[in-house]
Amino acid sequence: MPFSIVAQIAVSGALMGLVYALVAYGFQLTYATSKSINFGQGELVMVSAFVSLTLINTGLPYWAVVPLGLLFGALLGLVVERTAVRLALEQKSEGWILLSIIVGLFFFSAAENIWGRDDRPFPTPIPSAPIRILGVEVTGLEISVLVGVLAIMGIIEVFKRKTLMGKAFEAVSADSDAARLMGVSASHTVMLSYALSGLVAAVAGILVSPITTVGPTMASAMILKAFSVAVVAGLDSGFGVVLVGVVLGALEGLASLYIGSGWREAPGLVLLILALAVRPTGVFGKSVIRKV
Amino acid sequence: MKRLLGLLLCLSATQVLAADTIKLALTGPYSGGSAPMGVSGRDGSKLAIAEINAAGGIQVGKKKLKIEVIERDDEAKNERGALIAQELAAMPGLSGVIGSVNTGVVMAGDKHLQEKGITKIITPAAGSSSMTQWLDRPGVPGPKQLSIFRFAAHDGIQAAMVVEEAVNRKLTKVAIFADATNYGASGRDDMLDQIKKQGNKLEVVASEKWAIGDKDMTAQILKAKALGAQAILIWGIGPELAAIANGMAKLGFQVPLIGGWPLSMSNFVDNAGANGNGALMPQTFIEEPITPRAKAFIEAYHKAFGVTRIPSPVSAAQGYDAVLIFAAAVKQAGSTNSLKIRDALEDLKQPVDGVIALWKKPYSRWNPTDVTTHEAFRREQTIMGKVQDGRVVFANEADKARLARRGAK
Repeated sequence: MPFSIVAQIAVSGALMGLVYALVAYGFQLTYATSKSINFGQGELVMVSAFVSLTLINTGLPYWAVVPLGLLFGALLGLVVERTAVRLALEQKSEGWILLSIIVGLFFFSAAENIWGRDDRPFPTPIPSAPIRILGVEVTGLEISVLVGVLAIMGIIEVFKRKTLMGKAFEAVSADSDAARLMGVSASHTVMLSYALSGLVAAVAGILVSPITTVGPTMASAMILKAFSVAVVAGLDSGFGVVLVGVVLGALEGLASLYIGSGWREAPGLVLLILALAVRPTGVFGKSVIRKV
Repeated sequence: MKRLLGLLLCLSATQVLAADTIKLALTGPYSGGSAPMGVSGRDGSKLAIAEINAAGGIQVGKKKLKIEVIERDDEAKNERGALIAQELAAMPGLSGVIGSVNTGVVMAGDKHLQEKGITKIITPAAGSSSMTQWLDRPGVPGPKQLSIFRFAAHDGIQAAMVVEEAVNRKLTKVAIFADATNYGASGRDDMLDQIKKQGNKLEVVASEKWAIGDKDMTAQILKAKALGAQAILIWGIGPELAAIANGMAKLGFQVPLIGGWPLSMSNFVDNAGANGNGALMPQTFIEEPITPRAKAFIEAYHKAFGVTRIPSPVSAAQGYDAVLIFAAAVKQAGSTNSLKIRDALEDLKQPVDGVIALWKKPYSRWNPTDVTTHEAFRREQTIMGKVQDGRVVFANEADKARLARRGAK
């Protein structure tokens, strides 16, 4: 197979992998503050995409829809925190696992009833015509995914390091009991992390919809891969998810090329099993030493 | 007083049962991803029923009876299909069933109808197994009498046309693309089978697949491109077909996309946009007013259901013609008894002038070694359609002229 084709497949796969990484980053945000994960994260991606599409169809320009879509995603994140997570955390139970799945199922049914089960195109002013960069065809849409994913992750990381609220976030992530003794409200920080996680889901939805179309099942395949990425990279790995996401996406494309297109899903699953067997904290995760 | 009221209710109920109507059930997915086909099929059938009823109904013996519609939404779910079929099989006085879009629903439900001898015309579900399940198999003989008929161009015909199109274009190397569902797998087998039958003129350079929900098809497309495929013969459903058309445009791979009839669905046409132009697929009806009959049908449909484009013209026209054929069988049987209607369907004396074709003896007596006895469509009732700017048009002017001539007669 000529190198240009291999490169093209790896690049296209890697760009899809960035979206997995972004959804995985959403898992990380809530895990950091509360050690909980929203298993309905894929539904947040999907509902935010549908709401943005509805706003676009009312005639609002794309650039006005983006902030509204993100705001809606953040609100949805807060809804998940209030309905599925808060009580379970207060009672120190693992109830959030089931509850977040149930809230996700609720969003799924609601979307089916409100918007129907069809896949619909998502109009965008970003050009979809291919551009040739170093012998590889890339569309404007794919570049927008690259820029969007890195930008939103960068902004959130800067926010965590440079602002007071962000420092509270980091403090709760490091040691929530100690942070509470210092006067940081852990419950507000958990709310903040869920809002950010919802916002990240909305970014993923808006970035990926023009490529994949919008439909109730648009995120169901994506979410499993994002979970693999989060676990393989480690749930506290920060930018590690980007690297793992890109590698996983590229591997998927190469597996279809060399082994056969029926084996596309295999690399993600193999990586997940390997990571769990060899390095349960993830490739970039910190192993925790628990002091007794 | 209460007892009297109860008695009155009972009386009125029996009166409804004895009411002079022909009970016909319409089934299909009226919500969800397959809804364009289900709704169009149902509405096409309803249009025919409304016309029949407006003319006073069907002559059955000495009386003219109107058709009473019973509607059931199977949501394209196999288990719903099985439940609905059980309900219909137990319904007193049911004359027949028309519908089904999904092969899985047919496989789950039709056995209940066959058991109770309820006549069903399947339309527009095209999967081969819906009918071949009734054939003799080694050690398991098929039923001697069959109440299930089909009114759709089954996948066997469609695969033959797809391969024929590639051969007629003098292509030598093709890629076969199919999704990883039963539908895709059986389509792939049908196409490979047809390549062999039509003289092995096509070399399959790549055989690719994908899962439902995949949207990055770069690897499959580039492999086909690198290996020199001159066309992609494809079996899948709308959203993924659109992802492939969009991917081909992006990667500058401009070869014909020829495949099964989902290439005519709105979820392909709309999601692929300009990249879908030129895609070819077998059709039984094109939404173009080339004959007075087609013109009247299209206008009536648009007016009755308030649309400017029929979501799935093939489903609508088949639903319409299936009702006409069913009505002709009721008239010939002179009865609303489903078994008598079945016998009449197997031996229709009068031709039925449908919107798709003039149907002369569409079915014959069931033979468990020959599935075509209960299949209405042959190669000559199917034509190639082509996507052109958001609509499906005739791919070959010759077909258009041929069908227009029929209307002129």
